Amino acid sequence: MSTLTIRRRTQRVDHTPRPRRNVDYIRVGLWIALAICMLVWAMPLIFVVLTSLKTENQIFSTSSFSLPSSAEWANYAKALATGNLLTAGGNSLLIAVIKVPIGLFISAAAAFALSRIKFKFSRGLLAAFALGSMVPIQVALGPLFRTILDLGLLNNPLGVILPYIGFGLPYQIFILYGFFTSVPKEIDESVRVDGGGNLRLFLQIILPLSKPALAALFILDFVSTWNEYAIALVILQNKASQTVPLAIQSFQSQFTSSYGPLNAFTLMSILPVVIIYLLFQRYFVQGMFTGAVKG
Amino acid sequence: MTKLTATRLSETPGLNPRPSRKKPLLKKPLLKRIAKGGFVAALPFLAPALAAYVVFVIGPMFSAVRLSLYKWSGFTTDQQVFVGFQNYVRLFTKDPVFWTAVQNSIIWVLLSLVIPTSLGLMMALALNRPVFGRNVFRSVFYIPGVLAPIAIANMWRWMYNPNYGIFSDISKTLHLGDGSGVTFLSDPKVAIYAVFAAFVWQVAGLNMVLFLAGLQSVSKELVESAKLDGANAWQVFRNVTLPALRPTVVVVLVLTIVNSIKVFDLVVGMTGGGPAQKSQVLALWSYTQSFLNHDFGLGNATATVLLLITLVLVIPYMIWSTKGNED
Repeated sequence: MSTLTIRRRTQRVDHTPRPRRNVDYIRVGLWIALAICMLVWAMPLIFVVLTSLKTENQIFSTSSFSLPSSAEWANYAKALATGNLLTAGGNSLLIAVIKVPIGLFISAAAAFALSRIKFKFSRGLLAAFALGSMVPIQVALGPLFRTILDLGLLNNPLGVILPYIGFGLPYQIFILYGFFTSVPKEIDESVRVDGGGNLRLFLQIILPLSKPALAALFILDFVSTWNEYAIALVILQNKASQTVPLAIQSFQSQFTSSYGPLNAFTLMSILPVVIIYLLFQRYFVQGMFTGAVKG
Repeated sequence: MTKLTATRLSETPGLNPRPSRKKPLLKKPLLKRIAKGGFVAALPFLAPALAAYVVFVIGPMFSAVRLSLYKWSGFTTDQQVFVGFQNYVRLFTKDPVFWTAVQNSIIWVLLSLVIPTSLGLMMALALNRPVFGRNVFRSVFYIPGVLAPIAIANMWRWMYNPNYGIFSDISKTLHLGDGSGVTFLSDPKVAIYAVFAAFVWQVAGLNMVLFLAGLQSVSKELVESAKLDGANAWQVFRNVTLPALRPTVVVVLVLTIVNSIKVFDLVVGMTGGGPAQKSQVLALWSYTQSFLNHDFGLGNATATVLLLITLVLVIPYMIWSTKGNED
């Protein structure tokens, strides 16, 4: 409920035409301060971009902030040739493409049961799920390794997909629960009067109505799956099964001092996520909004 | 397609998850009462989530607590030997790194409750009005939050490079120090703070977005009327904005605590816990003991401590928020 109100308000604020005033010097000053902060904030990224385009000689002899005389694309070629980025990228993509929709669907089903079907202990169950989103993954790392080993899924994408689904549930259930409860209960009645069961209510009414929340969670989950490191580190131990974060780390330890390719590698590894962010910006904010409001 | 399948499924008698209606009885066995309460109807929807949650999250957590009472190398071929609380005794009395890790984790939580949160709030306040280029500002502040922490670790490691990094460059240009460049990451006293700086860069924008969301609930009318009453900017912030932001502040603080306890990737990527384990944190030390020192007993004892700390910090919030939701 609160989600809806808030989204409406945001829109209103963004589109209100402001009365024009004379140039406000304090505001200009603030803007300049803000711009400087932004530059400082962008510095790490700018520095990585600059380094990735410099030759070894330039890196060693010129200032950090000097522009490269000509773009050294060879760094990128070298990073691609010597690193495991393409294989790892494929693995990460495969894992995310399988994990995210399945995980989201499972979470949605659970959130549906918790929010629309009355049964005992549903509050307790919700709390148990919510608690899981707070506990650090590292607590379970040792035994999780054993479980996956017993299942024979070490070095197998499925070996991380399953735990990812498990660890992704709590947050998604929590958010979707909030969203589903905001859908008016009268809808349930009308579906039941028409003779529809829970499954129909879930698939044909609740899921389609929740598209904004689902889309936001999809994007957020895609990014966090792409970025996950700890579980992958334990389960995916050979080079062929590496995900992107593992590839970054092993490239870094292998080529400690070839700074140009190293930064080219880092940059290429974050590019997909940055592109996703730029394309789906509003979903990131929306996902956070929903989360923030429900608390 | 989906429509058809869905209808047909729900019409199939065996698959209809609704419980059959029975006459109400006063005293029923527990199982039946649960069934009557709709649990049977809910089960098909809950089962996959419950299964995944129990097998891959809750199960391993309980195992961690159990294994903390055993001596074990982690290899399948080796025996697990029950040793009671011996691992904890070893951890508390003979493992100085554990205490370094505890100390660093506490420092980390405390600092992150102050620095990235207030930075995020300031960013949000600055960008909560129509500012030229607002979207660019927001994106630049937020983007670090979507990057892989391990990538951030590498970026910052490069910035801290003692010979060619940004900070060395700056200190050389300004003639600070002895001209040998900065060695933040290899200085045992500074390393943890150097890693923390990268964390601030990563999460401040996330906090900003949360605060921006919260700021939408601040009543414009109230702000205007406060201004008409002659309140200055600070008074408006203190008396109107801040009280309205309280729920958001709680969420931000809880998320901050949770994220701080989880810190792992950044430390692995930047220092690996070094130099001399001086930048160890609990999450990483648990991993190191289990997987690198092959001491699952100590590793899981550390994990259990981590679990307990998390629960102590988070449960009060859970109680508070469930109470709030019942209103």
